Amino acid sequence: MHPFEYAAPATVDDALGLLVEHGAEAKVLAGGQSLVPILNYRLAKPRIVVDINDLPLAAIRVEDGRLTLGALVRHHHLEESADVARHCPVLTEAAGLVGNVRVRSLGTLGGSVAHADPAAELPLALVALGARIGVRSARGRRTIEARGFFTGFLSTALAPDELLTEVEVPVMRGAGSAIEEVARRAGDFALVAALAVVGLDRRGRVETARLAFAGVGPTPARVVAAEEALVGQEPSADRLAHAAALAAEGLDPQSDPFASAAYRRLLARVLARRALTRAVVRAMGVL
Amino acid sequence: MADRPSGQVKPAAADALTVTPALRVVGQPVVRHDARDKVAAATAYAADWAMPGMLHATALRSPHPSARIAKLDTSRAAAMPGVACVLTAKDVPRNTLSTDVPGQTTAVGPLRATLHVLAEGRVRHQGEPVALVAAETLEGARAAAETIEVEYEPLPGVFTAAEALAAGAPRVHEAGNLLAHWRVVRGDLAAGFARAAVIVEGEYETQFVDAAYLEPESGVAWIDSDGVITIRVSTQVIEHFRDVAEVLTVPQNRVRVIGTYLGGGFGGKEDVTVEVYLGLLAMKTGRPVKMVWTRQESLLARAKRHPYRMRYRTGALASGEIVAQQVELLADAGAYAYLSALVLLYSTVTAAGPYRVPAVEVEARVAYTNNPPTSAMRGFGAMQTTFGYESQMERVTRALGLEPVHVRQVNALRRGDTLPVGQVMETHVAVPELARQAWDALGPATPPRAPHVKVGRGLACNLQPYGRIVWLHDWSSAWVGFEMDGSLVVRSGVPDVGGGQASSLCQIAAEVLGVRLESVSVHISDSALTPLAGTTTASRQLYMSGNAVLKAARELREQILGIAAAALDADAGALSLADGAVHAPDGRSLPLPDVLRQCARAGVARSHLAVYHAPAGEPVDLGRGSGKVFPDYTFGAHAVEVEVDTETGMVRVMKYAAAHDVGRAINPQSVEGQIQGGAVQGLGYALMEEVILERGINLTTSFASYLIPSAADVADVAPIVVESGEGLGPFNARGIGEPPIGPPAAAIANAIEAACGARVTRLPITAERVARALGLVEGA
Amino acid sequence: MIVSLVLNGRPRDVDVLPSETLLTVLRDRLGIFDAKEGCDEGVCGACTVLLDGRPVSSCLLLAPAVRERRVTTVRGLERGGGLHPLQEAFVRHGAVQCGFCTPGMLLTALAFLERHPGATRAQIRTALEGNLCRCTGYAKILDAVEAYAREEGTGG
Repeated sequence: MHPFEYAAPATVDDALGLLVEHGAEAKVLAGGQSLVPILNYRLAKPRIVVDINDLPLAAIRVEDGRLTLGALVRHHHLEESADVARHCPVLTEAAGLVGNVRVRSLGTLGGSVAHADPAAELPLALVALGARIGVRSARGRRTIEARGFFTGFLSTALAPDELLTEVEVPVMRGAGSAIEEVARRAGDFALVAALAVVGLDRRGRVETARLAFAGVGPTPARVVAAEEALVGQEPSADRLAHAAALAAEGLDPQSDPFASAAYRRLLARVLARRALTRAVVRAMGVL
Repeated sequence: MADRPSGQVKPAAADALTVTPALRVVGQPVVRHDARDKVAAATAYAADWAMPGMLHATALRSPHPSARIAKLDTSRAAAMPGVACVLTAKDVPRNTLSTDVPGQTTAVGPLRATLHVLAEGRVRHQGEPVALVAAETLEGARAAAETIEVEYEPLPGVFTAAEALAAGAPRVHEAGNLLAHWRVVRGDLAAGFARAAVIVEGEYETQFVDAAYLEPESGVAWIDSDGVITIRVSTQVIEHFRDVAEVLTVPQNRVRVIGTYLGGGFGGKEDVTVEVYLGLLAMKTGRPVKMVWTRQESLLARAKRHPYRMRYRTGALASGEIVAQQVELLADAGAYAYLSALVLLYSTVTAAGPYRVPAVEVEARVAYTNNPPTSAMRGFGAMQTTFGYESQMERVTRALGLEPVHVRQVNALRRGDTLPVGQVMETHVAVPELARQAWDALGPATPPRAPHVKVGRGLACNLQPYGRIVWLHDWSSAWVGFEMDGSLVVRSGVPDVGGGQASSLCQIAAEVLGVRLESVSVHISDSALTPLAGTTTASRQLYMSGNAVLKAARELREQILGIAAAALDADAGALSLADGAVHAPDGRSLPLPDVLRQCARAGVARSHLAVYHAPAGEPVDLGRGSGKVFPDYTFGAHAVEVEVDTETGMVRVMKYAAAHDVGRAINPQSVEGQIQGGAVQGLGYALMEEVILERGINLTTSFASYLIPSAADVADVAPIVVESGEGLGPFNARGIGEPPIGPPAAAIANAIEAACGARVTRLPITAERVARALGLVEGA
Repeated sequence: MIVSLVLNGRPRDVDVLPSETLLTVLRDRLGIFDAKEGCDEGVCGACTVLLDGRPVSSCLLLAPAVRERRVTTVRGLERGGGLHPLQEAFVRHGAVQCGFCTPGMLLTALAFLERHPGATRAQIRTALEGNLCRCTGYAKILDAVEAYAREEGTGG
């Protein structure tokens, strides 16, 4: 790869200072699973690589109904964390679907989110959960809602001088969740993935519902109309199928060499129904 | 090293050792010597090599599929610090590389093919090499390559074989776009169709795929003593030293190719890959040079498997007997011929499958396009036709309401039958028993696990030639000799692609000479130091080199026993060799070192160099359907159970059985490994592998987009090894390298149809294609 | 820059450029060819090494990132000058053909079994899904790992 300068700042402020100094000529290195292939292919030639792996950003905390995850939480941490499994099991499931075991050894939550691949599971989960993404720069801090964070294909609302530091998700109290995906090969990126979170009230009616998709457009997509169609209803097979169909109609997938738009739409409908069904079953188990 | 003395042809039968029941080493699942090295990472692959002062090389390749090179300026690159040289076409002493049948010493007639080493004014495919850079570091070479200024003027191109053969199509080469045409006619087709109870028509389409070996193309070259340009390279053909010498315009004895243990070949390393660039750069710089292709470069630039459009029209009686088979094949050669004419020949000969068909017509064409060149790949044209004829067999079976195994059994060739090309089957055809065993091995049907999941089974049989076409007068040589202490050495030019090629030779030598396998040392694959054995391709090495070693070992045994007989005052014919000694029937014995000393004193060699000549023939007029093309064939039958998710089209392989008649399994564990590995490579072809090209631009140049099966994508393949005891190889073995890759695609397609009624006729069988065949998806 | 790491149990100091990967450091700086270059994007697994006991793609690890870390390659598996029992199992079960995927398979399997000693064949299959093999069809690799897991489990 093209040579570059290298810095491994010990504090977030130091890291931010480097981003200010070098702007678009700096690349942030977290797990390296997305960045280093690009460097290996010589598709990017940054002047400096800012290695943030020494920064204290790997904590997992549960407070006030929210689960806060540091940007450097590795995928395998998510997968193995008892706190995550208890408070937000859909993240456990999503993390287990990411890449292969080597990607999960080093890849980070922050890296996956900042990379914003439209077929990736963790961005999908954050959009579905209504996560809040904590970002810092030399100018201060801000929080960005997940649905506004992903702005386009491999694009986010992060400014060149900003560093993603943490992700906050609501604790899923009494809800059931599920991810369904179809990939061309085991461990490959999903062609389409559907993520459902369903909370039931004491009468077994849908109290909360989240339904989002990856692989159906340049960013993960939540279909609120489908969610609203379920709230207050019995989660019968027909209603779930109806909501799934509604969701698929609300999407605008594109064709690419690997799958046509029409097929992606089909998958969205089928996977949404399956994810909702499994989420409901899990929600019932929690009741 | 002996070349073939003219006029001498030894029939194979005389060399085959009589099968004896008490084989000691052959037929055992012995541990391979290379396996021990490989688990310890002690094997030095071609890229695991560094030399003092070594430069690193890279190639600059055309981004355009069809263009004129209007300007090519390498001056900036040449001036960069650390750059040792930059080469373009004008720097190549003879810028023409022979790419016809590798390693042959006889004329290859219509199979002649050439290309430029570096593009001369014109590029015909994306990835065609335009310049070479050698520098002190790899990064330096790549950075320099980026500064080479090339101005391309895009030219019109053609991107399907059909487009290429249309009137007025832009020409890829001066001589026109039709590269080769083969035709086989036999019997009365019209009469056949007239009496058919059913006629099934099908159009099938197969895709470009990549060999996708884990080890990319790699090598290191240096100038050795006396100016010998030495190239240490991952290759299936060490005889390319001749082709490199021609390009460098040096005598052939000044180029040496040392073949390393390959990290996979599969036909992708049959052509010249890095050798000629390394030879050029070593010669120009006088320094060692290393070149290792990146995966992206390999996926972009290495020759692919020929995609085919196939039209089949099959007529059958109510009994299931096929009475007419009409086949049209159209293949895409890409921008350069390489082995396309030969691949097409394999397809033509195998187009009707392992079946007796009284009336056959095969029209086969291959055309140039501006797609990546296509060349050798495991299966070599016989793989694509298996998808055609076995899909048709299934459709005929269903149309007649018959049973898959029965229909194969009814139609299978038998010894004495004639293939469409007029070749008489001289060996046993095991298709009937293979089909039954594979099918039965699936056991009880798996119940579907949910209402939307359907389960079905499919069968596919195949024939795959092993050994070269007979008019190439194939031969292989080997040297076997004892050291004074009784340890044994085998020298053979055979390249080892990972299938245990070298290990099998040790087994054969150990068996014949009565020594333990552990006391055999083998040296392979060095064009200067090992007797040439020909290519590791065409499932020919066990047959050819195995027979060469067998011959050398037998003749050495006779020499040794002759001396021992005198020393023991016994009849040579009654002596045996075992446990490092010669034994007489009365219990007396002589330790081998003693016998060897006596040989030395008597001036009798303790080694033997043998040449094995395959039965040769003359070119066949395929149109008149007369004559022998291949020495023999290996037959197989695969059965698969799949699960189809009828809501998404996803297919999952549940059970898989693969049966082949291997004649005799020299190393049963290696044979199983070939069957399992070949079947899984075939599953990749069936379900997920595709080089996606858009007007000649490759969209799948990474392992993230070009998918090969992982462990989670496949079921365990249950290998069924049948030993008919008939084969032309040593101990009556048949070739097994290629046969297992043929059946999976059709077996899967057939199983999917059985499961849910959807017939997919285009490969790979993606979930979307199944969904469309199920009517789940319409529109774009 | 000088990077200090522990390689197969031994401390090593290597002079590296930040733009080198652990893979190129091992192969080109240290002459250790255990890890292979297969794809440069972390998909094939031929470059697998263990980093503090976890499998990683050495082609995706920038050299400075391994400072103070423990790296294990295949030669770090040897026991008393001989092969590790899993290596023996691979040899015995015919799990090695061309051998290019073998180092990655060995390390990944060992790291997995360390955390999941009673794993089933199906679980082993999933654990190895990130290590591509083009030669064996995986069956004999699974045979070898399963046999090793059983023998280790029974302590014999």
